[in-house]
Amino acid sequence: MAALTRTWWGKRFIAALESFTDPNRLGRGRSYARSDRIQKFSIQHGQVKATVEGKINPYFGVYKTPYYSTTVEITPIPENRWPDIIKRLAGHAGIVAKLLLNEMPDEIEDTFTKLGVHLLPRNGKDFKTQCSCPDYYNPCKHIAGLCYFFANKLDQDPFLLFELRGLSRDRLHKELAKTPLGKALAQSLESVELPLQPVESYYTRPQRVAVGECSYDYFWSGEHRLSTTLEPLSPLPALPAVLIRKGGDYPPFWQQDQSFIEVMSEFYERVRKQLKETG
Amino acid sequence: MHILHGAWVPRDTDDFFQPGTFYLWVETAQLLQVKPGYKIKHLDANELDEFLVQNLGITGDSAVKNIRQRLQTFYHWLPSADGKPLPSPELARWLTLPPPEEPTIALICCAITALPLNDIFKTLKELHFLVCYQRNDVQFGQDLLFWLHFSQALRQVLRKDQYIPALRYRELPGKSKKASAFAIYPGWEIAADSFESQLQWALSRMPLACTAISASASAQPLYYDRLELLRHFAECLLQRTVKGVSFPAAFEKKIRGSLLDQCLAETQSLPATSQALERYRQWQSWRQAVATRYSDDCQLGLQLVEGANETAPWQLLLLAISKQDPSLKLRLDEYWQLDSKVKKTLLKSFGGNLEEQLLRHLGYAARIYPKLWQGMATDRPVGVTLSIEEAFAFLREHAWVLEDAGFKIIVPAWWTPEGRRRARVRVAVSQSKSAPTVGKGYFSLDSVVQYRYELAIGDQVLSPQEWEQLVNAKTPLVWFRGQWIELERDKMQQLLEFWQQHGQEDASMSLAELLRKAAADEEEVDVSRNGALAEMLGKLHDQSQFEPVADPPGLHGKLREYQQRGVAWLQYLENLGLNGCLADDMGLGKTVQVIARLLFARDTAVGPTLLIAPTSVLGNWQKEVEKFAPQLKALVHHGSGRQQDAKAFKADCQAQDIVITSYTLVRKDVDLLQRIPWERVVVDEAQNIKNPKTAQTKAVLKLKANHRLAMTGTPVENRLLDLWSIFNFLNPGYLGTQTQFRQQFELPIQKNNDLQKSILLKKLAQPFILRRVKTDQAIIKDLPDKLEHKQYCNLTKEQASLYQVVVDEVNAALGDAEGIQRKGLILATLMRLKQICNHPRQFLQDGSAFTPERSHKLERLVEMLEEVIAEGESLLIFTQFTEIGENLERYLSRTLHYNTYYLHGGVSRIRREKMIGEFQDPATEPSAFILSLKAGGVGITLTKANHVFHFDRWWNPAVEDQATDRAFRIGQSRTVFVHKFVTLGTLEERIDQMIEDKKQLAGAIVGADESWLTELDNDSFRRLIALNRNTVMD
Repeated sequence: MAALTRTWWGKRFIAALESFTDPNRLGRGRSYARSDRIQKFSIQHGQVKATVEGKINPYFGVYKTPYYSTTVEITPIPENRWPDIIKRLAGHAGIVAKLLLNEMPDEIEDTFTKLGVHLLPRNGKDFKTQCSCPDYYNPCKHIAGLCYFFANKLDQDPFLLFELRGLSRDRLHKELAKTPLGKALAQSLESVELPLQPVESYYTRPQRVAVGECSYDYFWSGEHRLSTTLEPLSPLPALPAVLIRKGGDYPPFWQQDQSFIEVMSEFYERVRKQLKETG
Repeated sequence: MHILHGAWVPRDTDDFFQPGTFYLWVETAQLLQVKPGYKIKHLDANELDEFLVQNLGITGDSAVKNIRQRLQTFYHWLPSADGKPLPSPELARWLTLPPPEEPTIALICCAITALPLNDIFKTLKELHFLVCYQRNDVQFGQDLLFWLHFSQALRQVLRKDQYIPALRYRELPGKSKKASAFAIYPGWEIAADSFESQLQWALSRMPLACTAISASASAQPLYYDRLELLRHFAECLLQRTVKGVSFPAAFEKKIRGSLLDQCLAETQSLPATSQALERYRQWQSWRQAVATRYSDDCQLGLQLVEGANETAPWQLLLLAISKQDPSLKLRLDEYWQLDSKVKKTLLKSFGGNLEEQLLRHLGYAARIYPKLWQGMATDRPVGVTLSIEEAFAFLREHAWVLEDAGFKIIVPAWWTPEGRRRARVRVAVSQSKSAPTVGKGYFSLDSVVQYRYELAIGDQVLSPQEWEQLVNAKTPLVWFRGQWIELERDKMQQLLEFWQQHGQEDASMSLAELLRKAAADEEEVDVSRNGALAEMLGKLHDQSQFEPVADPPGLHGKLREYQQRGVAWLQYLENLGLNGCLADDMGLGKTVQVIARLLFARDTAVGPTLLIAPTSVLGNWQKEVEKFAPQLKALVHHGSGRQQDAKAFKADCQAQDIVITSYTLVRKDVDLLQRIPWERVVVDEAQNIKNPKTAQTKAVLKLKANHRLAMTGTPVENRLLDLWSIFNFLNPGYLGTQTQFRQQFELPIQKNNDLQKSILLKKLAQPFILRRVKTDQAIIKDLPDKLEHKQYCNLTKEQASLYQVVVDEVNAALGDAEGIQRKGLILATLMRLKQICNHPRQFLQDGSAFTPERSHKLERLVEMLEEVIAEGESLLIFTQFTEIGENLERYLSRTLHYNTYYLHGGVSRIRREKMIGEFQDPATEPSAFILSLKAGGVGITLTKANHVFHFDRWWNPAVEDQATDRAFRIGQSRTVFVHKFVTLGTLEERIDQMIEDKKQLAGAIVGADESWLTELDNDSFRRLIALNRNTVMD
C-alpha cells in the first residue's frame, strides 16, 4: 500500500501528529484517509474542515452510518510577522525557485526560526482539533484520518501550509509582489488551473480535402528535394529520462513507492534496447 | 528496374480510434517491342511474393511467413494519361520519358496490392541498405524516401527519451444536460520541441503523393492534410512501438496500477471517476514542466570557469541566453549590477519576465544537478563555487546531462575532445636497424624500428617519480605544468605497472606496425628521437610538407606547382620503398605527374615501367608520352600483332622506357609479362582491380616490380572494397586480409555508420594516398578558370573496318566528282566518318546495341562520367547528333542510373526552363545534362556543371567555346574542365592538329561551318581521312 505522504514536509506534519496521538487511532486514521471517508474537505480561515464518514458500531449505540464534522487548526502565526517572513523568503532565490516548482524548500524553516516562529507544527501544542464523534479521546481516529488526508494534499500543494498558518492566498501574493523574486513567484501562482483539453479522436484525425489541380511534378516532389542518404543518428543520451527529471520525482499522479524517475529511466532504457535489437 | 513505394494509410473509420497501416508496394515497367514501348506495372500478389521475398529477402517482419496471406489492397490516386497510370519520376527517368509538363494532370484511382509492414523502422532500414549498397536495379520512390526520412526523425525521439506517458481527455455527448460525460484514455506523446521543427522540415518535403491515398476506393480524388497525416503517422507509430516493447514480470509488477501501467496496457478508457479527472489535471500541469515546448524567450546557461592556479576555486557561473539571439549571453553576476534602465532595454531580448524564467529554469536544472541550490541562498544568484572533485564530476557527468535537458553548457577548452591531454604509455622510437640514410629501399613496410615505452601525458614525457606523484594525488583534476588535466588514476596505475615491466626493454616492430599504431592513436607514437623516421612520418601524414621539385629536364611542358609537389611525393615514396596511390581529381593531370616521375627516374631505372590501363585510354597514354616526353621510348603491347615470344618480348622490353598495355592483355599474357623484372608497375584507373576475385586482378598481382603505383580519380577512400584491393596491390597485408578488413571496417562503416572506424581507416590509408581535389585552396590558385584537355581514344576493330570501307568508297568516287557534287561528297564523308568515330550504331542506323564495347570513345566517356558523378559533381555533354543525344540519355539513365537531362531542338520552352532549374538546384543530385550543340547554344546558364564534354567536334573553336560557356558563366566559381574527344588515327586527330597549328588564324581559316574543309585538294583530303591502322585497338 502506497505511503500517504512522501514529502519531507508532509512527513514532518505527520510526525508532529504522531507525537501526541494514540497509535491505534493513528492506524485507523490512516485507513480512513485511504478510503473515501473524508468528504467535503476545505480550508477556511486557517481551519481544515471535513465531514468524516464513521462506522456503524452498536456497542456505542451507532446503528446507521454516522457523519462527523471534524476540524483541525494549527496555532496561527501572528498577522504582523508575515511581511517580514515573506520578505526574507522572497530574498532567497533557492526558496523561491522551489516554491515555483511546487516544492517546500528544505531551508524554509530556518527563515521562520530566525524570527522566533515555526512553519510546520512540532507537537500537540500546535494543534487545536475537534470532532463530533462520541470518542472521548482527542485526537480521535477521524482527526488522525483528516490529518493524514491533509498531509497527502500538502504533498501536492505546499502553499496549503501557509493557509493553515493563517496567511490567506491573497495576502501571500500581495506580500510576495513587494520583491522582484517574490513577484516572479506570485505571477506563477496566479496562473489559473489549466483548461481541460478535450480531443475529438485518439490520434490526430487526418482530414481529407478534394483535389485541386496539380502538375505531375508537384504531385511527386515536395518543395525541397530529399537526400537519398540519411543523417547518422545522434549519440544516445548520457542520462536516461532527462525530460522526466525536470518535473521532479513523485509527480502527483504517481502513487507508487518506487521513485518515478528510476522507474521511467528503466522503462526508457528497455525501450531503447529493444529498438536497437529490432533495428 | 523496380521502384519501391510506401504509403501510410489511415483506416476509413469515424471511430475514436483510427489506426493506420504502412504499405510497401512496387512499381516496374515492362519494355515492349511494339509501341508505346513500355507498360507500367504495379506488382500483383504473385509478383510481390517473388520480388520482395525471393529476390530481396524482405518479409515485412511478421510471424506469418507466407506474405501472400498478408497482402492487402489500398487505393492510390496516381497521375495518368489515357486512363492509364503514368510511371513515377524514378521509373520515368529509367525509361527516359520526359515528365509531363501540363500544369494539370489527370489522376486515376488505382487499387494497389501491397505488403503491410509491422516493424516499419526495421524494414525501411533494411531496404535502404539494400538500395544503397547492394542493388542498383531497385530504387526508392519519392514517397518511400520521404517516409524513410520522417521515420528517422521519429527514431531520434525514441532514442533520446523525448516522449512521455500521456492522457487524452474526451468529452462524450452528455446524456443529462447537467453533468457532461467524459472519458480519459492513456497513451503516449512526443514532448520535445525539436520534433515540432522536424515536422516543419518534413512538411516542406512531403510529396503530395503521400497524401493521395485511401483505404477504400473513392469516386473523386481526395488528399489528406499533410500535417495531420504526419501527426497521425507519428502518434500511431510511437504508440505501436512503445506498446510493442515487452517488459520482464518484475518490471510489470513494479508499475502495476500506475499511470505508466495504464499507458502500456491495451488502449481503453479509464473508469470515468473524479479521481481519473484529477489524475488528468495532475498530468496536465506536470507535462507543462517536462515538455520542452516552452514559449520562454530565455535559455539558462552554465559556464564552468577553471581555477586560475592550483589553489584557486572553480566557479560554475549562470548565464541568461536569449533564444531570439543566441549570441546574446549575459552573465548573471553582471546582470545584477546593471542599473534599471539598462536592464529594461535588455529585458526586451529576454521576453520581460526574465527573473521568473530564470528561477524556474534554475529550479529545473537544480533538480538534475542539486549542487546549484547552494548558489541560490541569495536574491541575486550568480552561480556556485565548486571543489576540484565537484568540478570534475560536473565535467564528467552533469554537463552533458544538463545539455540534453535543454541548458547551454560551456566548459574549458582543454576538456573538449580536441583540447584534451590524456595519460598514456607511448612508444618512443629510438633508432632503426640500419643507419638512417634515405636511399633506395631503405624503408619498406617490413623495415624494423626499435622503440621503448615511455610515460606521457599529452605530448609531455614524465619521469616515473612524477608519474607516481600524480597517481597519489588526491584529486582527479590536477594542476600540472601550468595547466589543469584530468587524471585517470586506475588507468595510470595500470600504465605504470606496464611500464615497470616493459619500460627498460628494447623492443622492435615493423614500419607497417608503427604506421598502424600511429593511425590508431597519433599521440601514442613518439618518433622525435629518430630524425629520419620523424621526418618521414611527418611528411607521410602531412603531404602538404612536400616542396615542389623543379620540372625534370627534357619535359615538354610545364608542371603546375601542385603537380611538382605530387612528383616530389611520388619520388619520396619510391625512395622509401613504399608504394602509393595518386588519386588526384580528374582533370588535375595525374598522367603528366607520372610521366615526370619516369623522366626523373630514367637514369636509375634497371628496367622498363609497365603501364596498365583500360583499353580506352591506351592511345591517350601514348599520345601524352609523345607530347610531354618524346625521348621516352614507349611500346604499346596490344593487338593481335603483338609480340608473343618470350625471348623476343624480353629483348623488345629492354630497349623501352615504358611498355603500355591493357588490363585484358595482362590477364591474357600474364605468363609473358611476369617474366620481366619491371622497374615499376603502374595501374591507371586502378578501380579496375577492385574485385580481388577476378583473373585480371590476380594477374596484376603476379607481376614483379621494384615499385608499384596506382592511379585513380574516383574517391577510393569512400569505396571500401576498392580501397582494400588497391592496397592489396600496393602494400599487401597492410590493411589485413579481406575477411579481416570486412569485419573490422566494411561492415561497421557501411551497416552502422561507424564514424570512428571510418576515421581510423582514413588515417591508415592516408600516408599512401595523394589526393588533391579541385576545391583545395592550394590547388585553386594554381588552376586557370578553364582547363581544356584533349581526350584521345582509339577506334575499335568494328569501327575501323566500317571506317575503311567508307574511305575506300570515297577515294574511288573523289576522282570523278566536281564542283557542288564534290563539295557534297566531302561534307557527307565528314559526317559519315564522324558518325563511325562516335559509335557504329550511329553510322549503321540499325538499332543495334549502344554499348561501350563497340566504341572506345563511349567507353572512355562512361569511365570519366563515373569519376565526375562519384565526385558529386555535375557535367554537360555536347553532341551535334540527336541519335547520340538520345542514346546517351537512355544509356546514362537506364544503365548507369544517373539523373540525366537531354535538351534538344524539340524541347518546349517550359520544359527547358524546368530542366535547367532542376539541374541547377543545389538539392538535386549530381547530374548529367546532354545538349545538342545547336539547341544548347543560346541563353542558358548551367553553372552547376564544372565538367564539359564535347563528344563529337564541330571543328570550329568559336562554336565549341560558346557551348562550353554554358557552364563557364557568371556565377561559376570553380574551374571548368573541358574534355574534347579526339579519335586517334582518323580525320578527327588530323583536323584537330590542323586547328591547333593554325589557332592564331583560326577565325580567318576556319569559318562558321565545316565548308572550309572542302577547299582542300583531293590528295590532302585523302590524307586527312586516311585510317592509321596502328591506332586500332580491340
